[in-house]
Order: sequence, then structure tokens, then C-alpha cells
Amino acid sequence: MTHDRTDPAYARRFSPDAVRELEELVARYPQRKAAMLPALWIAQREYGGEITAEAMEEVAHRLGVPPVEVEGVASFYTMYNLKKRGRKHIEVCACLTCAVLDSASVIHALEQRLGIKAGETTADGEYSLSEAECLNWCEAGTVVQVGHRYYGNVTAEDVDRLLDDIAGDPRNDVVTHADTVVRVQLRGGCKGRPRPSAEVEADRG
Amino acid sequence: MSQVEFVNITIDGTTVQVPAGEMVIESARRVGIEIPHFCYHPRLTMEAGANCRMCLVEVSMPRKNPDGTLALARMPKPQTSCSLPAAEGMVIETETPMIVEARKGMLEFLLINHPLDCPICDRGGECPLQNNTMHYGAATTRFVEEKRHPPKAYPLSKYVIFDRERCIHCARCTRFASDISGDAQLDFLKRGADMEVSSFRDTEFTSLYSGNVIEVCPVGALLSRPYRFTARPWDLSTQKSICTECSNGCNIKLDHRAGKLLRVNARLNEEVNEEWTCDQGKFGMDYASHEKRLRRPLIRDGAVFREVSWDEALTHVATALSEAGPAAAFLGGARSSNEDLFVLRRLFQEVLGSQNMDHRLGPAYPSAADVRAALGSQSPTPIAAYERMTTIIVFGCDLAVELPILYLRVRKAAVRRGAKVIECQPSSYRERPHANKVTDFAHSSIWYEPGQETAIAEALAHVMTGGRDPGASDGASDAAASLPNAVAEANVEFGSAIPRLDDGPIAIIIGRDVWSRSLSVPATLKAAADKMGTPCVINTYACSVNEQGARELGILPDGSVQASAPGLNADQILHGLKDGTVKALWVSGVDIASQFHDPELVTQSLEQAPFVVVTALDLNRTATMADVVLPLASVAEYDGTYTSMERRVQRFHQAFDAGVDVREEWRIAANVGMRLGVDMPYASWRDIFGAIATSERAFAECTPDNLGDGGRLLADRNNEDSR
Ligand code: SF4
Ligand code: SF4
Ligand code: FES
Ligand code: FES
Repeated sequence: MTHDRTDPAYARRFSPDAVRELEELVARYPQRKAAMLPALWIAQREYGGEITAEAMEEVAHRLGVPPVEVEGVASFYTMYNLKKRGRKHIEVCACLTCAVLDSASVIHALEQRLGIKAGETTADGEYSLSEAECLNWCEAGTVVQVGHRYYGNVTAEDVDRLLDDIAGDPRNDVVTHADTVVRVQLRGGCKGRPRPSAEVEADRG
Repeated sequence: MSQVEFVNITIDGTTVQVPAGEMVIESARRVGIEIPHFCYHPRLTMEAGANCRMCLVEVSMPRKNPDGTLALARMPKPQTSCSLPAAEGMVIETETPMIVEARKGMLEFLLINHPLDCPICDRGGECPLQNNTMHYGAATTRFVEEKRHPPKAYPLSKYVIFDRERCIHCARCTRFASDISGDAQLDFLKRGADMEVSSFRDTEFTSLYSGNVIEVCPVGALLSRPYRFTARPWDLSTQKSICTECSNGCNIKLDHRAGKLLRVNARLNEEVNEEWTCDQGKFGMDYASHEKRLRRPLIRDGAVFREVSWDEALTHVATALSEAGPAAAFLGGARSSNEDLFVLRRLFQEVLGSQNMDHRLGPAYPSAADVRAALGSQSPTPIAAYERMTTIIVFGCDLAVELPILYLRVRKAAVRRGAKVIECQPSSYRERPHANKVTDFAHSSIWYEPGQETAIAEALAHVMTGGRDPGASDGASDAAASLPNAVAEANVEFGSAIPRLDDGPIAIIIGRDVWSRSLSVPATLKAAADKMGTPCVINTYACSVNEQGARELGILPDGSVQASAPGLNADQILHGLKDGTVKALWVSGVDIASQFHDPELVTQSLEQAPFVVVTALDLNRTATMADVVLPLASVAEYDGTYTSMERRVQRFHQAFDAGVDVREEWRIAANVGMRLGVDMPYASWRDIFGAIATSERAFAECTPDNLGDGGRLLADRNNEDSR
């Protein structure tokens, strides 16, 4: 297994822009493989939202590491899509706070509406549904992430409104690269807490 | 060389001096204390190590009181002794109540998801997890929930099956793959509660060294497919042996039971294989107990073979050979022991008066004088010496396939000792599907097309000597600027890829594909080496198990000091069979019909040969064309010695009696000699080895009793008279 970055056989699907982007990132670190996480984001974008075996091999060759090491990293983080997702990937937080705020009912309602189980994708390839670990906005549980947008205070009754909101908006398309996420409220505050009416930018780090 | 610094540390009351920085787990061994452990392995790096937490010890360090006196301060928590460097004044305790409790706790954790199906586990009886649990574990567990149940028999490679349930995530196998064999095909996926060892996307684990992970795994998670469920360790007997699959001379253990070879494990030899084997060795030696083994001598009866007694077969052979006399010939021998070869040589030279002997398979047959002229009389570079090389050049050699254990040593020299490895290889090697390529760690790789070898060698020679030509300025890259025309025509990228070559010892490895065709490449490089100011050895290593022995013992047309004229070489012998000048042929241990450079010539010659006797383990292609086939004892069934490619003479021991009517080749040859009236009264390998030591200069310092377990390098050729 050679890790020859100059071999044309390994120049696969990264566009010239993507290669330039990666090399700029690599230049920031003492070791090539330090750029593994952003490289995987680029791969997810370049390979249409899914980190395929070929994507991991391309990252491996570009960073000069064995492919299985890339898979080891990619399989640790749930935000890397190791299997094909629908265009809208609905991730419902099922972690402690949200669970206490009945995220199960949100998941159940979405399963009913979409006709799929959590972890599955609709037949037309439009929607995927999955449970997520803490999305780091616990005070607004239940939290739902769709693409680059976070929805707070979602209840089972909000499911139709949620689906309407994400339908036509490209910002809700499956995450292909690391970017700023936007927090969204579907309706006014509840339980007496003031709610921002407009969308608020928040850095997901 | 930097001076090693020593420190005093006290382990369970015994004070001992150890090198500063040595891991405490190793220091404890010096005072006879074995600290229980799983993930620690002295040959693997500590990256991803220290994960099993089994090796905990309590540590106290001397500290200065305010008044200047020293007091011992105990660290509040136990430490992992496998990653704790020894320091001056350190006091280690390995059996305190806290440690006893900690070990119990760690084992309880490790066993949470472990199936403990020892009764059906291959490892049971020799399992560190089982042993440590018996010694240090609690009798019961508090874990009552359901255990994880990943697949129990996942086929990881052709040879290795993976029981994921039993894995304790010690990272020994993954570190073997990345640190030792370098293919890095195993790693942890899904880190967290579902963590598992895997290859990339469940692809096949194609390492040529995959079998070693079975041995390093401290539990029964990685298992040998051929050995699985065939024996319990306590029913096995073990014998010391030598791997016969190539010329590296790996030290191995043959585990056998009831006359059957069941598995091969590595035996420690720091000078040769350390504690590794390649897959070819570990899994390729099943021939010893193969059902296709020949059981009785065979004599041709028209189109079929008839089983006969040894007496009948040997009489037949003796008659045919004596009729042929000096027109008898011998081919093969590269798989026979030193003792076999010595007696065979006596039979041909002294009894039959024939010097028609050749162990080579062609196509080139340089005379001994040609070889000396091209290569001088340097001894080959010993395997362990690679760790001291500054530069290693691999020329036309797929090292991991041709000389697998040397590959591991060269890789170690490059990765751990900083040797610069330069490879010049046919470009077709790039396409070979196997893992473990020199390219993975080479400083530079130069690819050529067949036919360009000489041009490449000349270019290399030019770079080697370039800096020292009076006319040329100093430095390798300047030399590269003025490469000879031949290289410019060959159109390979060269010069700038080559580092300075004159800053320390160099070893050059030339592949069999190159040296067996012509000596021009080795000769060109040797001439350049002689002009360099730095030691440089050109190696044309033997490839079969005792090919070097055949070279040393002169299984060659000009291998006799007494004979006035050389005999026929292998090609001439085969042609002689066709035109009737050679009247009888003995083929020893090698399937020449498959391995000769010109198989067609072999088939034609054997068809027309008046008489052919073949000694073999099974009915190989050559044997099917013979008049008499004599069944040989396998390496597991007799005693003797081999000479490895680095000229190391090593002992192999009889493991069992095959229960079939087979014989050692030396016994066959002596018996034929006796029938022809020349007594060769050898009773055992020792007698013959003694005779070899007396008559062969190179073996002069060897005795049957001074070979030890690790073997002995033959005397340096520079101190010998040339034969
Ligand atoms: S790996 Fe060891 S402890 Fe586990 S089942 Fe096998 S023998 Fe028993
Ligand atoms: S398979 Fe064996 S060697 Fe590999 S991590 Fe698991 S227990 Fe360790
Ligand atoms: S628990 Fe759901 S966002 Fe933290
Ligand atoms: S042996 Fe020390 S932590 Fe595993």
C-alpha cells in the first residue's frame, strides 16, 4: 500500500479547489494527518454527502495514512455520514436533557409522518431520520438538527411545521461541510422564557 | 556512542541497577518478578499502549525534606509499570493490598464482555487472560447484564480467523501491523462502547505476516484457521526446528501430536527472526503431515508406479548409477540438509567419479572463478547487521516475498534506525497486489523496465563513485547531473532521488531475478563499491532453505578441489540426457519440472532420459516422470543442519516419526554407496557433521555441539583460502 500523493491514480474526486483547500489546511499543522477532521468534511462534500470507502481511501492517500486509520476516525464521529443519507437528514437529540423533555415523542411523531424508523431513509431518498447525541443546546430541548439549522423546543405537535420549514430550504440539506449552524425557533417562547424571534447565529465549534 | 546511564531502583525489596528509562515491567524481570500484563509487548511501541491497566504497581520516589534529608513519597495512585521509566531511587511494590485489589478490579472489567468460553477456545491452557484470571482475578463477577455478542468466527485473512467476542482491545495486533510489518491494515473502529478491531471496510487482511498477530494476541481472539479446534495446548509436544520455506533460516517451534504437525510458531532468535515468522513459514509447512506424502519407494512399471521395498529400489538405483558411472548427474539439493549434500557429493565424486552436479536452476551458470572475479570473497551481510547500515539498496528484489524476514529487518533499520533505503525495481512490482512493499518506507524508488538493469546499475555505480572522481565536484547530486548516456536513454528519473551514499556502511541486496540471469549487475556495483571509502557489501542471497549450504558444499560442476576438469552444469546435464551423454540423473528434493528456468527443457530431457531417480516428499511433477521415486523424510522427521542465506549453520531436530517408510537422503546416498562397494559408515547427522567440519574450511570451527539454539555463522570468507 503506497501513499504516493503524486500518483495520478489517487487523484480521484477532490476538485482542484478542494485539493487547494486541503493543502492550505495541511500547511497549518506539523503533520499531514493532523488535518484529518477537516479533510473528512471536504470528502463528505466532494462525495455528495456521504463518506464512501473511496472517499476514505482518497483522504488516506492525500494525508499519507493507512485507510483503516481514516475509517477509525470517521467511524467515531456521528456527523460523518458513513452511509447514504436522505437530502434532509433529521437528527433528533435523544440525550439526557432532551429525553427528559420527551424527545421520544418527537421521534415517534416523525416516524409516523415519514413512514420510516429512526436510522432509516425514505424510499425517495428525501428524508433520513436518526437519533443524535447531545446537540449542545440543552436548554432548548428537544433539539432537532436538520442540515445547518438547529430547531429548539420542538414537541410532537411541531412536526408538521418542522417538515414545512425544511422542505424548500437548501440550508437544511444534509451537512456536507463544517460551517456555522443557525438556531431556529419554530414558534414563540414557552414556559415563560423569552425567545429570539429571528434566527440567531451560533458557532457550533 | 552515548554512554548508557544506570539507575538504582528497588523492586519488592531487591535493589537492582538498570539502564535509566527502562520500563519498570522489564526491570522487574531482572529480579525475577513477572508483573501480569496484557497489552505490553517489548517489541511494540507504546503508542496506543498502556491500555489494559493490568500491570499496575505502587511507586514511591525519594523527595527532599525541608531539612535536606531524603524521604520516600508514595504516589497516591498505582502506576502502569509498562509505561513507567525507571528513575534513580524509585521504590516499586508489586504485591500491596491496593495492587491485589486493583488487579482484581481490572480483570473484572476485562471480563465484562469476554465470553469465557475457555473449553472451546484454542488459547485455553496457554492464555494470558485465563492464567491471570486464575492467579489474580475474583472468583465471580458482579456484572449480570447481557454481554456483547459480535461475530465469533470472522475470517480476517486466508489464515486468520477473528473471534471478536474475546478481544480485550489491547492493541497488540494493530501495533504489530503498524510497527512491525508496516502494512497497518488493522485498527480500532467505532471507538467507544462498540469498539472493535477491523481491517479497512472489512477487506481481507492481506499482510504477508498476518500469522504473527495470532501469537501476539494475549487472548483467543485471533486464531489460526488451519489449527483451529485441532488440539489443546497441553496435548501438544514441541520441537525446535528451522523453517524450510525460504533461506532466511527462521527459528521455529513445531507443535505436533500423534505424528502430525499441527502448527508452527516462532522461536526467539535475536540475530535472525527475532520472534516473527512470515505466513509462508507459519502456514506453508503443512506438507510434513500432508496426506499426499509418499509412503513407499516407487518403481516405474510401464505407465504406472509400483510400490516396492527399499531394498529393491536401492538395488535398482545402485545398478543404474554404477552403469552410468561418470556419466551420472545430480540436480537439485537446495532443500536438502548439509549432511544430505555432503554424503551425496561423496557418492557422486568418490563412488561414481562424476562431477556433474548442480543445485542451480539457471539460466546463468557462472563458474566459481567468474563469481570470485565479479564479487570477490566477501561474506554476505548478516540479517542483524542491517540495523547498523546507513544505506540499504534493494535491486530487483520483491523483498517481502523473496526474503520475508530480511524484509522486516530492513524495514526496522529504515523506520527505527534511520537507514536510507533505495530501491531499483522492475515497474511491474508496483502492480503486485500484496501488502508489504519496500516502497512503503523507501527513501527513493527507481522503476525500470526489463532489460534496463545494467543501465540502472551503471547509473547507481556512477552515483556511488561520483563524489570521488578527481574531476567531479563533491556530493551526490552533482554526480547525478552527469549520468552516463545509458541511463539517459533508459529514461528513468534518477540522480536527485539518491542521497549521499558515502556516509556509512552500505548493504546492497540483489534479487534472484537479476543475479540468476547474469552477474553484470552485481559486478558493476561491486566495482563501484571497491572505489568507495565506505564499506559496501553486494549480496546475491540464496533463496531456498539450504541453497547456501549447496554453495558452501560445492554442489556445483566446479565444486571439487580435486577434480581436474569441471563437470556439466544444469543446462548441459539436461541436454546431455537428450543426446545420450548423460546416462542417469538423480534429482534431489526439488521439483525441477516446475522450478527450472526452462521447464520445457526438463520435460523433454526427462522423457528421453535413460534413468531418473527422484527423491521427494510427494509425487511432484518431476517425480511423475521418474523411473524410481524415493520418499524423503521431512524436516520434522530427522535431525540435521541447514546453512541460511547469511551463512548461519543451524540445527533442526526430529519432532516425530511420520509412521511412513521414509528415509533421510544421506542415509539413501550412503546405502547406495555401500551397494557399490564404498563404505560410508555414518550412523547419525553428528558423524557427518563432524566429517564436514574436518574437510570443509568454512565449517572448521563448527562441531555438532557448538551450534547452540541460535546457530553459528560460518567463518568469514576473507579469512579462508578460496576454494
Ligand atoms: S481467550 Fe482465554 S480466557 Fe478467553 S475464552 Fe479463550 S482461553 Fe478463555
Ligand atoms: S484481537 Fe487480540 S491482539 Fe488484537 S486488540 Fe484484541 S485482544 Fe488485542
Ligand atoms: S441533551 Fe439534547 S441538546 Fe443536550
Ligand atoms: S501492560 Fe501495562 S497497561 Fe497493559
